Amino acid sequence: MLLEVHHLSVCYDTAMILNDLSLSVGEQELVSVAGPNGAGKTTMLRAISGLVRWEKEILRGSRYGDITIEGRVHFSGERIDQLPAHEIAERGLLLCPERRRPFREMTVIENLMAGAYLLKDKEAIKEHLLTVFRLFPVLKERSRQVSGTLSGGEQQMLAIGRALMSRPKLLCIDEPSTGLAPLLRKEVFQKISEVRDSGIPVLLVEQEVSTVFKMANRNYVLSSGKIIAEGTAQELLQDEVLRKTYLGL
Amino acid sequence: MIENILINGLIHGGVYALLAIGFSLIFGVARIVNIAHTAFYMIAAYFIYTFSTRMGLHPLLAILLSVVIVTLIGMGVYQLSIKPIQEHEITVLIITIAVAMVFQETVLLIYGGHFRGNPGLLTGFLEIFGVRVSYQHLLTLIVVLFVLLITWWILLRTRLGIAIRATAQDREVANLMGMNVHRIAMITMAIAVMMAAIGGVLIAPLSVVEPYMWLHPLVMVLAIVVLGGLGSIKGSLIGAFILGFTETLVVFLLPLGAFLKGAFSLMIMIVVLLLRPEGLFGVAFEEER
Repeated sequence: MLLEVHHLSVCYDTAMILNDLSLSVGEQELVSVAGPNGAGKTTMLRAISGLVRWEKEILRGSRYGDITIEGRVHFSGERIDQLPAHEIAERGLLLCPERRRPFREMTVIENLMAGAYLLKDKEAIKEHLLTVFRLFPVLKERSRQVSGTLSGGEQQMLAIGRALMSRPKLLCIDEPSTGLAPLLRKEVFQKISEVRDSGIPVLLVEQEVSTVFKMANRNYVLSSGKIIAEGTAQELLQDEVLRKTYLGL
Repeated sequence: MIENILINGLIHGGVYALLAIGFSLIFGVARIVNIAHTAFYMIAAYFIYTFSTRMGLHPLLAILLSVVIVTLIGMGVYQLSIKPIQEHEITVLIITIAVAMVFQETVLLIYGGHFRGNPGLLTGFLEIFGVRVSYQHLLTLIVVLFVLLITWWILLRTRLGIAIRATAQDREVANLMGMNVHRIAMITMAIAVMMAAIGGVLIAPLSVVEPYMWLHPLVMVLAIVVLGGLGSIKGSLIGAFILGFTETLVVFLLPLGAFLKGAFSLMIMIVVLLLRPEGLFGVAFEEER
């Protein structure tokens, strides 16, 4: 498997956010993680991408209390949970963060260039830029616009495009549909499955189960920091209790 | 007189811009309020005084040595005394005040509190429309504008510049994009201190060198940064020239009221803040995460 998470636990001070969580993502796969608010979905992605460790270093010795991280994360056969976030990105695991977070005062093209920071070869950058523009034509139209003035949907496209600029081996996306109108959500999801089809595996955290389960290869359901179910859309939707309690379908 | 005001305003504004942009950069990238920033400018002035007046080195070599040494000192200060406590804002504030005091007291011990002068690189003057402008002033002006232009180019056109601005806007996302935020902070600190050092070596021949020469620029830099909008490089640049010209105007138009230059500048800052609390180019505060 490309990404393997083994028995990951994260505690903020005394609050246990992730509890013995294990999951995996294979090549060519689109894997979704669903679950109610506060289940630990965002923390899971932050832990995998190294941000929790970074936060731990920042908070060390402060009045907020310590963060403990346990468990192992393997990415293309290498253990990455001890690495700082920028080195994890270097190895090809990119996180497109919650609420998009474009560099608001920079233009669209500058944002994409920031995403291409890891590449030094100008030709490769050009090539990836064309790929991103092909996937998101709207970014090309707006390339000189300051990204803070883009609409929510465009900002989401930008955030995904920015993460794709370094041609990652795995793209993690955190709640891309937040704050978007239904039609735009559909478009964003459509683009995400196109990313998968172009050969980049995706780990997608998303609450909108009805659409995402159908397009994902496998799904996990997370609740109170634990994986409580795993399987294809069909398998999961057969379970009446799961459907009503956790998925709201 | 208009020409004098223009030249002096540009020089003062330019030197303030060198200081304020560096201050903004390091504030943006590492969230450090570096009170010691203008102290680097002061020690740079002392270095050039030592190298050229006392040791008699060639002025160009003296300039080069001063800038390099001060930049290295700046990087050392960042690595040893700021980085370990970087996330504790109040502690950083106190530590940088301490660093500035250490510089000031060291200089006092070595050189005493006397006012020192420093010969310029060039003598003579040029007549433009019947007004005498010394070559030293012209040279200073050109160098200041050149350095500002280079900084501008680095920030807007290079990979490093994109990384610096990205880190300033969102450290976490910059980290996610593979940028080594600590290294970028170190590089930014080097650039910022280098700009302050260039300001110091440029101002040394035009003004007096003394151990407290960092205090007034510090107040001005803080005013400029607030006036221009916290964290905005463009704001710092424009704010620097606004206050630089204000000071020059006060000095030239009120010959007996030159001591009021600081008061006028701060008044402008207050007026701008009343009309536009986020500063000229600042963005209204948003939730960070």
